[in-house]
Amino acid sequence: MTQHSPKRRRHVARKWHRWLGLVAAVPILWVAISGIMLNHAERLGLNERMVTNGWILKHYNQLPEGEPQALVVGDRLITGWGNELFLDEEAIPLQGELVGAVAYKGQLLIATPDKIGVFDGADELLLELDDLSLPGTPVQALGVMDEKLHLKVADQIFVLSEDFFSAEKVAAQLDVIEPRKLLAEERDSLTKAIRTRRGMPLWRVITDAHSGRLFGWPGWVVTDLSAVSLIVLTLLGLRLFPKRKS
Amino acid sequence: MKPIISASDTASRVVRIFFTIALLLVGGSAFAAPKVHQKPSDFIKSSLGAIPTTRAITLTSAQQRQVRAILGKNYKTKAIRYWTRNGKTAFILEETGKTEDITTGLVVKNGKIETVKVLVYRESHGWEVARTAFTNQFKGTSLKSNGQISKSPRNIAGATLSVRALTKLARLALFLDSRK
Repeated sequence: MTQHSPKRRRHVARKWHRWLGLVAAVPILWVAISGIMLNHAERLGLNERMVTNGWILKHYNQLPEGEPQALVVGDRLITGWGNELFLDEEAIPLQGELVGAVAYKGQLLIATPDKIGVFDGADELLLELDDLSLPGTPVQALGVMDEKLHLKVADQIFVLSEDFFSAEKVAAQLDVIEPRKLLAEERDSLTKAIRTRRGMPLWRVITDAHSGRLFGWPGWVVTDLSAVSLIVLTLLGLRLFPKRKS
Repeated sequence: MKPIISASDTASRVVRIFFTIALLLVGGSAFAAPKVHQKPSDFIKSSLGAIPTTRAITLTSAQQRQVRAILGKNYKTKAIRYWTRNGKTAFILEETGKTEDITTGLVVKNGKIETVKVLVYRESHGWEVARTAFTNQFKGTSLKSNGQISKSPRNIAGATLSVRALTKLARLALFLDSRK
């Protein structure tokens, strides 16, 4: 085993201390500063301040992805964006691709391949219909003809009863209105509404940045490595602490 | 006295430990995905022998208040579906555990719970509530006059919110059965 002089040992320890300190300086500084901020979150008003930045909201899955599709029923705009559905500018408790929407007896029915949501006049979800109540899934289209609710499943047309729980197969053609692309101004307006309603509290964003989770797995790996670096730097520092013998 | 371990050896060892810890941390990640224990339609089929015609209870304002007292909030829909066959009534109900909905199948017969089964579990923690050893505790429970169930299940450490969610759903199913 090679043995080195005390001078050489100090030199090696100092070299590791210097370079490891340089590499870990920025993340350690961030962890320290954000830690102080979180400790004084209330005083700094971090709980009240909301972050509406697009990247941040996307990171927290608050902004839907993909091309939004829309259907107009009367004066209502129904938008399917990503896996989310919106009635005018409000998110509704129904998820999936928008395949159809109709007004029927004072109610609004919105269809996804797996479910049909029945909304009352106050936009509240009255009922959710799935394969347990429908003649089948996936739902391909929804329409009203002769004041009767028609449903297209597996290229067959069914008429649903007034309570929606029974269906009768009929030989008919259903005029399907395909969802259209959302117009630019409609999209801007919806995006603005989503950002306003779904802003993330600043403390939450700083907490996740502090732990590194905000930047995905590379973020928390860097944070963990910084913490380990701090331990190593402390040990190396302690080793360098004794006064050099002259 | 000369050192037995040199400084460069010590530094190398520290660096080795550093990377070992880092690797362990990187390898420790786990991602949770929704677990479908049984499809709701399969649950109805297996519990009632077939899928009967759907019925629904449309909650009145007074009933909505009672549901709020059970859940601490409104149920997601104003009308709640159920299926009845051979004196048994089956419900497919959802309640939030911590952040995600737990889809649960419940069968009630003569005012008592016959079956509770977690059908879809979406939370990353607390999946122990899906075990039959836990859900079997609800068997035979009924609704007391104060709206609580006759026998509360034992808590599971680390799954408190999921246990609470299932207990609420058992109370809700018994309440709905008495109002159908």
